[in-house]
Formats: sequence, C-alpha cells, structure tokens
Amino acid sequence: MSSKYWAVFKISWENGLVYRLNFTLWRVRSVLQLLLVYFIWWTVFQTQDQIFNYTKVSILTYVMVASLIRAIILSSRAVDVSAQINDGSIVNFLVKPLGFIKYYFARDLADKLLNISFVIFEIILLVIILKPPLLIQQNFEILLFFTLATILGLFLYFAMAFCIGMLAFWVENAWGPLFLVTIILEGFGGGLFPIDILPKNIYDYVMLTPFPYLIYFPAKLYLGNLPTMEIFKGFIILISWVFIGWYLMMAILQQGLKRYTAFGY
Amino acid sequence: MAVILVKNLKKYYRVNQKEPGLWGSIKSLIARKYYDVKAVNGISFEIKEGELVGFIGPNGAGKTTTLKVLSGLLYPTSGSVRVLGYEPFKRQSILQKQFSLIMGQKNQLWWDLPPLESFLLNKEIYEIEDSQFKKKVNELSEMLEVSDILKIQVRKLSLGQRMKCELIAALLHSPKVLFLDEPTIGLDVVAQKTMRDFIKEYNKKFKATIILTSHYMGDVKELCKRVIIINQGKIVYDGLLEKIVNRFAPFKVISIDFEKMAEKEELAEFGKLDEFDGIHAKIQVNKDEVPDKTSRLLSKFEVADLTIEDPSIESIIREVFSNGRV
Repeated sequence: MSSKYWAVFKISWENGLVYRLNFTLWRVRSVLQLLLVYFIWWTVFQTQDQIFNYTKVSILTYVMVASLIRAIILSSRAVDVSAQINDGSIVNFLVKPLGFIKYYFARDLADKLLNISFVIFEIILLVIILKPPLLIQQNFEILLFFTLATILGLFLYFAMAFCIGMLAFWVENAWGPLFLVTIILEGFGGGLFPIDILPKNIYDYVMLTPFPYLIYFPAKLYLGNLPTMEIFKGFIILISWVFIGWYLMMAILQQGLKRYTAFGY
Repeated sequence: MAVILVKNLKKYYRVNQKEPGLWGSIKSLIARKYYDVKAVNGISFEIKEGELVGFIGPNGAGKTTTLKVLSGLLYPTSGSVRVLGYEPFKRQSILQKQFSLIMGQKNQLWWDLPPLESFLLNKEIYEIEDSQFKKKVNELSEMLEVSDILKIQVRKLSLGQRMKCELIAALLHSPKVLFLDEPTIGLDVVAQKTMRDFIKEYNKKFKATIILTSHYMGDVKELCKRVIIINQGKIVYDGLLEKIVNRFAPFKVISIDFEKMAEKEELAEFGKLDEFDGIHAKIQVNKDEVPDKTSRLLSKFEVADLTIEDPSIESIIREVFSNGRV
C-alpha cells in the first residue's frame, strides 16, 4: 500500500531534478530573500544593541532558522492541484486506485526534501562566509518543541495550499486567492520580522490566525525564550488549526469532487 | 455475462448562459440564467465480454459523457450503470484495477521523464508483480514497436510514439475493460494503422471488452462489428455495422472514368449521380441491378476504367443523421 506513495515520492524527486536551471534559480531566489532580510537586520543593529527585546544574535539566528523553516513548511506543490483541475488531467487520478490527498502529500514531501537538502547546504555556506553571531540551541526539550511545531506547520500549510488549489473546482482561476494568501503570509507569517515586534493587541489577534504558525512560531521556539504558557497556548492554537485545515480540506475535496462529477468539464 | 450494463442513463448538466459583452458579464454576475444540457438522455445498452463496440456520433452527441459515466468520473443524473457488476461512480479500487480509460487528448505520462518511469509508477499504483510488469512492458512495447524509446524523455517523443506509450501505461494492469476515447486523434495514417491493428489484436488476445469512440470512420470500420450510434443524447442505432450499411446503403457505387466526355442526361437513367464532372462519374446503383447496369454502361460508353465500390461509412452515417432516425 505505502509503496504506491513511495513511488510517487521517487518520481516527483526525479521530476524535480530534471529542470536544474529552474530549480537553481528558485534556490537563488530564496538565498537572495534570506540575504535581504539578513542585511536589513544587520544594518538596524549597527547602531543599537537591542531592539524590541531582540539582540543581534537572536534576530540573526531567527532569520537563518526562518529560512530553514520556509524550505520545510512553505515549499509545497499542493496548489498545483488547481492546474490539474483546470486542464482536466485530474481524471488520470480519479480513475486509478490512488488516494488523491496522499498522492499530493507524497509529492509535497519529495519537493520538501529536495529543498531542505539545498537550504541546509546554503545556510552552512552563508555561515562560513558571513560568520554571523548565531545561537546554537542545545536544549533538547526546546529542539523537540521546535521540531514538533515545524512538522505540525507542514501539515497546516499543506492543508491551506490544497484548499486554495481546490478552489479551481468552483472558479476558473485560483490565482487571486493564492496571491492574497501569499501577501498575508509574508506579513503575518514572520518571514520578514518576528511577529512579536508588533503592538501587543495586534500581536494577540495575529496569533489567533494560522499564519504565524508557518514561520514565526517554530522559529521563535528555537530561540528558546518563549514563556511556557505561550508555548502551551501556541501549540493548542496550532493543533486546532491543523485539525480545522485537514477537516476543511477533506470537506472541500468531497464537495469539489461531487461538483466535478455532477458537471464534468 | 454482460460486462457493461447501462439502463436508461441520463446525464444533464446545468450550465449558465451569458450574453455577449461586458454588460452581459455584469448581468450574469447578478442574475445567472441556467439551462439544462441533456448530454445523455435515456440510453440503454449491454455489452458482453470480449466485444469491441464502436461509439459514433457527431461532436456533443454524448459519447465522451457516457464513457466518463462508465469510468466513474461523472455521477449519473438518473438510471443505472454497472461495469463488471460494480457501480463505477463509487470509484472502488477493485473496479479501478480492472479497467482503463484512454483519452486521446489527456495524457498520464510524466512529460519530463522517460515513459518507463511512468510505467513504474503505475506498477506501484496498480500493485503489479515485478515479473508480470516486466512481461507486460516487453510484450506491449514489442507489439507497438516502441521498445527502443522507453528511456527517452516523453517531451522528445513524437505524438505517435507518445500515444503508443500512453496505451502501454494504460494496459500494464491488464484491464478487462477498456474505454478508448478518440485513441487515434491527430495521428498520421501509419500510426493510425498500427494503433488499429494493436487494438484489434489486444481485443482478440486478451478477450478484453472495449468501447471505442472515434471520428475516424476508418477506425470503426476496421475494428467494430457492432456500433452504437448516438445523436443528441439518444441512441439512434445499436447493432451490426454491416446491417446499417445494408439498410442505409442498399446500393453500390459504380465509379467510371470515360474516354470521351459523357453527357449528364445519358447517365441519369442508370441511377443517382454522386459525382460527375464530364470525364469521371460515381453512380449509385441498387445491388441487384449492378451486373446488368455495368454491362449496359460498358456497351454504351467508351470506358477507360470502371470499379464497383461499397459506399463509404461516412456517407452512410451522414445519411443516418440527416434522416434523424433509424
């Protein structure tokens, strides 16, 4: 049974390696993104030692860890489902003994592994070149929380991306909603700055949405200075969103297929 | 035993109507007008094991819709459908492992990888044994003469080669039932012929039950004894191809090349003129009058060449549709 999805994983991996230039450019983009954020913060800390409770070490560590988390959580092929709905190639899956969500999840993992192996290499390279002051977290418990939050975030983002992709069952182009989510994610995900530099009342609201759990929360956990209550609260909200996300995903898939099989294309 | 059983199948789509122009777009945003398209409107048929049946009809007749219902891609509006005893729209893997849908315009091969990679993926999806897989790949690629291209990126293959590989990918799990939707679309004459021969042989060799839709009458003529003709969602004919040929074309066509220009009036007495340009003519002649009229033609005119042909299937089908009923 699972060998099916292992095969999907392998073929996705091979497919990902076909376009070396494309993939390289994608990695260049993410390195540039990392450098941009890195140097902004570097500059800010030229004249000060501490801003918004962050020291130079903690903010630069945050930036590096966020880049790793991006590769793990945000590299996803789930939105591709919209293209397959639109061009009708989804029929190839529907006539086969194959779980639709499992198929995409296997493809996603392949894509993630490819990206992760590259991002680790990139980070090591940058650390050697830039020699930034970094915090190497050694507390086992904190590392465990960090890993757990990252894995949960991976599931959450998969569900979110898949839901958006499946909008193609109803609208011709899911590009608009995807763009909107990407913008919100850049702001409230925590890729550019840690969310807790926002005013307290805004921060509280943002922490109720799923977005900060995709970058900020795991990165902040890594830094190790989150109070226990905050960790606890964060995990409860994160786990709730994972459940909501997966439930919605299943429901949307069911409705979408119902509509698809009722209307055809 | 009936492998495919369709009883009173109906499939209606609701579609919205939009008047042209920007104003029409705005209006359709606010108040959408819907109407039902009766893609399939009450059809019934039965197909036995090992039969190779041709589905013919003009664009939009309901052929593809029917195949999609049979494959479980569309939920029927009403009526009952059974394939190998299962209801296809439940999409149970036990049924999915026993049939294949091949659409000439939808590809399943991974575009950037060699076909063999897609085959290996299907091997896992359909849980095919290693030895069985190897045997099938060799057998099918030899039959289709593509053994040497299985390791070349799909995007670099010709359309013909790609379609052959699509076919292999769809047949690896030895499906008992095969739905072929326009399998020869866009192929050149040689590739079409290979495909046809293959389908014919596959049907014989494995006793596979096959439904085939095609725009190329050649495909149907070559492959199918039985045809189901649909038009506007209804079956207008279900029976032997031969029979409909006899019914709608109880005549032969005499094709003549004259030595000298002939007059149209002189020919009219022999039968209906399909074609005439003075030096060449095609005349419809009742079957039993063929010998008599041929000899009279030969004695009356100076004939350079004369052949007696069956009317083309295309012209018969055209006749069927223009009559509207059978």
